[in-house]
This record gives sequence, structure tokens and C-alpha cells, in this order.
Amino acid sequence: MQRGDFMSGKVLMTGNQAIARGFYEAGGLVAASYPGSPTVEILETIKHEYKQIYSEFSVNEKVALEVAMGASFAGARALASMKHVGVNIASDPLMTFTQTRTAGGFVLVSGDDPGMASSQNEQDNRLLGKFANMAVLDPSDSQEAKDFTKLALELSEAYGMPVMLRITSRLCHSRSAVELSERVEKPAEGFLPDKSNFNMIPPNTFKKQHEMRARIESLSKAAMELGINFLEDGSGKEALIITSGLAYNNLLELGLDIPVLKLGLVYPLPVEKIRQLSKAYKRLIVIEEMTPFIENELKINGIACEGKEHFSFTGELGSEEIEAGLYKAGLVDEERFSGKSIEDKSVAPRLPLFCAGCPHRPVFDILKKSGRKVIGDIGCYSLAGIFPIEVLDTTISMGSSLGTIKGMAKALKLSGKSEPLVAVIGDSTFFHSGMTGMVNLLHQMDPEDNMTVIILNNGTTAMTGGQHTASSGSYAGEDDMHVDIEGLLRAMGFENVIAVDQFKYKEAKDAIDNEIKRPGLSIVITTRPCALRFKIKEPYFRVDPNICIACRSCIRTNCPPLRMKKYEGIEKLKSSINPDMCVGCSVCAQVCPVSAIKRISEGVE
Amino acid sequence: MRCFNIMLAGVGGQGLVLTTSIICGAAFAAGYDVKSNDVIGLSQRGGKVWGSVKIAEKVYSPNIPAGEADVLVALEPLEADRWKGCLRKDGIIIVNTGEMPPAHVAAEKMEYPPDIIKRLSESFKLYAIDAVAEGKRLGSPKVANTFLIGILARYLELPREAWQEAISANVPAGFLDMNIKAFDIGYDLLSQE
Repeated sequence: MQRGDFMSGKVLMTGNQAIARGFYEAGGLVAASYPGSPTVEILETIKHEYKQIYSEFSVNEKVALEVAMGASFAGARALASMKHVGVNIASDPLMTFTQTRTAGGFVLVSGDDPGMASSQNEQDNRLLGKFANMAVLDPSDSQEAKDFTKLALELSEAYGMPVMLRITSRLCHSRSAVELSERVEKPAEGFLPDKSNFNMIPPNTFKKQHEMRARIESLSKAAMELGINFLEDGSGKEALIITSGLAYNNLLELGLDIPVLKLGLVYPLPVEKIRQLSKAYKRLIVIEEMTPFIENELKINGIACEGKEHFSFTGELGSEEIEAGLYKAGLVDEERFSGKSIEDKSVAPRLPLFCAGCPHRPVFDILKKSGRKVIGDIGCYSLAGIFPIEVLDTTISMGSSLGTIKGMAKALKLSGKSEPLVAVIGDSTFFHSGMTGMVNLLHQMDPEDNMTVIILNNGTTAMTGGQHTASSGSYAGEDDMHVDIEGLLRAMGFENVIAVDQFKYKEAKDAIDNEIKRPGLSIVITTRPCALRFKIKEPYFRVDPNICIACRSCIRTNCPPLRMKKYEGIEKLKSSINPDMCVGCSVCAQVCPVSAIKRISEGVE
Repeated sequence: MRCFNIMLAGVGGQGLVLTTSIICGAAFAAGYDVKSNDVIGLSQRGGKVWGSVKIAEKVYSPNIPAGEADVLVALEPLEADRWKGCLRKDGIIIVNTGEMPPAHVAAEKMEYPPDIIKRLSESFKLYAIDAVAEGKRLGSPKVANTFLIGILARYLELPREAWQEAISANVPAGFLDMNIKAFDIGYDLLSQE
């Protein structure tokens, strides 16, 4: 965040930082989240910059939403932020909370990911917002991200409903100028009991259906007066473009002379205003990423328009795609960007890798050698499903590995096709939504079902940048949760639980191989922390090319510093280690069958 | 100043986000409108990462369409090769020559092209610097990207103080002097031509 001298009072902020700032300025009191790209920076910013606000990374999104909901019940302004799929986890409380008349303003920030830069699916959460009878705001730059956060809280209080701020991944990380204001304190009124409003059981829920409908209808009527849905006139009455979010700015970049209706509020739409407006134009063209949400809303209301016949239903809509769609629609005469590509797809791909010193590396090397089928889960270790490790056979959603392995084992048994199965799950994912699946394994446990569950306890939510988990306290003194996973599992009633140090490669391999062979359920907890958050700084390793037999055992661990190389005077390629990248974890040296890899301190030339 | 488009590309973990932030900060401190992009997330470790900075009196989209970038700042040669399509015909490439082979190369499924710098310099004006080695000479490989920023600064009509302000706002205090030195070396590199 930096201050511009000439653009006085303005600073550069990412969309995420701007949302955090908006919540701060609006007098927000409680914010909760579970880390997930692209929205992780919202809560991190609140945590580091705005200490007046109580903030937490909760154990999962459902709990985060509930924490924020409790604050709203108490009359405080509250925020819950999460990635799009996080809203699925939080949907259960959300779908009922939304029936209540909110006390303190409540904003749910959903980070959607058109193009799936960092997500397992591309769901369009505007649909979830409508499903939950919530208003949905869609900012187009950082200034709007901040303004709409404040507006969301105001609308939430004025209409008595939770409001969704839908932002896309590109905007979360995009910087642009933001004008700052001071914080206006908004102390909580206190919890004012209203049993028919907060106890959502029948018959209390009956009238709530009508209240939800009424508040959406009344906001739809007021929507054009909010100042965030506006018409930018252009010449001609041939067509009116309706758009929102980043697509609006990508459209302006083309410098076209076509009138544009820019929407800040995408649900509910100002339907009657659009109906009147549409009479002045021959065609209405909707430009929106992902589903035809606005398009369908218009069509349901009997307003003819075009949209997805010109624009893709998946991925982002940059200026190039918008130009191509408008060309197809006959609204522009030439395509400036046609046939050009910013990325040369013929260049060797560069897929993400486990870091040098990553404690997952030896585990997946061992599993690859085992040849067993492995049920994956969500975290850095999901990378073990892609080239070059390719060990994971399934990756679906947070915590899903434990239910999946059980169902698969039961089905295979009934079909006479039983085989040893392995599941892997990280500690953050285990606490997030793996514990329930774990308890469920106790039910109708068959000692013949051969399942090995490996809990990759690295003490961190690693992929999102190293946030704490419920077991971080075991590795980092400053963390206040020290849940002992082994003790927890034993308390649940599991007996075959072992802990292994995966940097003692041979011991770890023997232990994991034994558990895979043994019938029944085994649980293996790996004990090494994340190499990114808890850096390893040991003397680095070197390969002695005269001992190396070029077997590539080390190369197959896929550690970034390792590469086959031509040495002077040696005909065959031999392994090598880039000393700038090696952190000294020793895994490559341990998998080497001829001890050709030694620490630099051991005097190898 | 007309609209100036800068594309950045590198490998996750190389500091692309910080580099983008410094460039944005300098242009903003000099009074321009700025928008930027960082594509991060799943690609944060060892994967390809890219970003963009657009500088003008008024910027709408943070994205740079194909063929519209003035400069490509590449923290790694293969990434320069991957993103060259962003450049205008008279575009400039500023590249760190330190190679980081991707997994397909390490696994010997693909070759790392031996002639990237030479090939690219036939189509574009190109400045190559072994920034990590230069950084080590100054005291830390962590200042590598600042040499590239110094070279870039020659092409942007921004006061030197704006760059200094942006660097000091973004780097840890203990590394400030080393970064300013790296910037100066990059900045002066072109005047020696």
C-alpha cells in the first residue's frame, strides 16, 4: 500500500486490501474467515492493519460465518470472507441465517474464480446469493471494493438482510487507486432478544418466506437510486450493453461508442427500470463472466436480451474476449486482437512443485513406490495428482478423502475386489472437515477393510501462505491452539495410530509399507512442519558425479534443485544439485542407492 | 506520458508480487493512475506466475492484451519465451538469465531451449543480466529483481525519487541500501551503452 503524492489522499490497494479497509472505515467489529485463494488477504490485512477489529481465521468457513453471525446478532457490523467453494461449507447456517432480520450489518465476501487460477471448480456464487435471498454486489475495481463493502453493511441494516459482496480472483489481486476515509465507530447495540426472529423453527419460519421476498422486491425498486447502477450514454440506439465487475473496465478499455448500463448491484436487478430503458434500444447485450446470471434474470422477467451466444460461459472475459464477442454480435467492425495470444503454449509448461525441503516429498515418493491407489484431499499435497508425481487418484473437496476411502472399501469388498487403499489429508483440512469423516470410520468398521489414512501434519495451512491450524501450537510458540492429533484420535477410539518422521526416509518407508500391508484401519501421522513457514537451513548437499550411477532415484523425488547435468570429462549425464536452492533436508541423499550425495560439510568437491 | 504497459513473468517464489508492487508504487508516487494484476494462488511455488502494470493518466483495465505491452520484465528466460506474445513489435525485454528448469525438463521429458536469449534478441530489443549472480556480489541474491527494475526505470519517465520512495516502502529496512545500489547499477547499465 503506497501513498500517491499527486493523487492526494489516495493510495494503491488490491481489491482484498480495499475490502478490509472498507470494513474498517464502516466501524466493523468482528471479521472471520478460513484461508482460501483468492480472498485470504482480506483477513490478513484486517489482522495486521486494523487491530480495533476482532478477527480470526476460524477452523472452517461454516464456523467463520457463525462467528460473524453471532456478532451481527449482538448488533455489531460483521464480515465473513471466503473463497467461492468455502460458501458451500458455510451454506447450512447461511441459508437459515438469511431468513432472520439482521441486527448488525452483515457482509459475506465470496471470492469467485473465473478461469480457476487456484480452485477445484468455477462455481458462480451470484447464484448462491440469489438462492439465499441475499442482495449481491459486484465491484469493478478497488475503489468500488471498498465502497461496496460499506454499502453492503448499510443495505444489510436498512433491509434487514445479509448481503453478499461477490469479487473475482483477478480483482482480489489487482491494485488500483482508493480514496481513504476515517473510521466511523459503530458500537454494537447489544443482543436484543427477539425469539420469533432468531429461533428459526416453524411456525416462526412461515412469515420469513414472505419477508425475504418483500425485502428483495423493495430493493429491486430502489436499486437505480443507489448510485451504483448507472447508464453511460453513447451514440446510437442500436444496442445497450449491460455489464458489471471487471468486465466493465475491460469493455471501457476498447474505447467503443456504445451505451453501457453498469451494474454494481447484480441481485436484485432494477428490473422495471431496465424494462423502460430497453424500449429505447433495438438490442440488449449482456456481458458477464461464467453463468448467464443477469441474462437469465432479464429473460425470466420477459426482457429480451443476448449474451452467452456471443461470450464464453467459462473463464475470464478480458478485453480480447469481449471484443471477439461484440464482433460476433455485429457491434464492432474489426478485431484488433484476433488470432493473437499473450501466452505461447508451445513453451515447456511450468507446473507448481513441492518446495525444496517440503515434508510431503518423501511421503509421496514412498506412496509412488508402493503402487497403491491413493485418495487425495485439498492442500499443497493436491499437487501430487499432477505431473510429475501423479500419485493421487482422486481430489474432490475439503475433507472428502475419509468418506471416500470408506465407501470405496465397502464397495470393493461387496464386489470381491478388495485391495489396500490409502488416503492422505493435511492437518488444516483434517480440522476443517476431516474430523467428522474420521469419526464415521468407526461405524461398521470391518477388520478386513484395509485402509491406511496418512495425516500430513505440517502445522500450517500451507497453500494459502502459512496460516495457523489447530495443531500449529505444536510447532510455533506464538500459536494458541495445540490440539494433539494423536491424542484426539485415541480419544475417538482409534488404536492403530503411529507417528513417523518422514525425514528418516527408510524408517518412514518401512512404517508406511507395513501399515499398508496390515488389514484393518491404520492411521499414520507425519511429524515434519511446512518448509515454507518453518524454514530448514542446513548445509546443502552435492552430488559426487564419480559415484553417481545415473539411476535418477533422487531426480524422481522432484526436488527443485535437482537436475541431470553434463560434467566435464564424464560421458553420461549425472545428477546435480543447485546450491542456491537446496535447503539441506537430506531426502535425496537418503534415496540414493550408492551414497553419491553428501552434505557440503562432509567435504565433497 | 502515454499509456505504458509492463508485463512481468517469473517462477513462483521469485518475488514477482513485490516487484510489481515497487513498479506500481513508483508510478503512483509520480502522480499517475496505475492498475496492476498478479496471478497467484495454486501457482505460487515453482509454477509460472505473471502480472501486469498499466500506467497512464487514466487506466481502466489492469489487463494487457496480446501485442500491447511496452516492456516484458522476465525473472527467468523460459518465462520470457512463454510471454513474448504480450509485446508490441518494438517492445523491450528485460530478462534475468538465471535458468530454473521446470519439472518436465528436470524429468528429461522436454529440453530447456539452449538459445532463448539469442532468439528473443533477434525479434526484440533485449537486456539480459545474471541478476542472481550480481545480487550475490552485492551481498544477497534477494535483490536480484531490483537490477531489472533499475533497467526498466530508464524507459519510464518517472523521477528517480519516486523509485527510491517505492523501494523503501516495499523492502525490509535492512535490505534498503543494497536494493538502492542494485537499482542504481541497473539504471546506469543503459547509460554505459
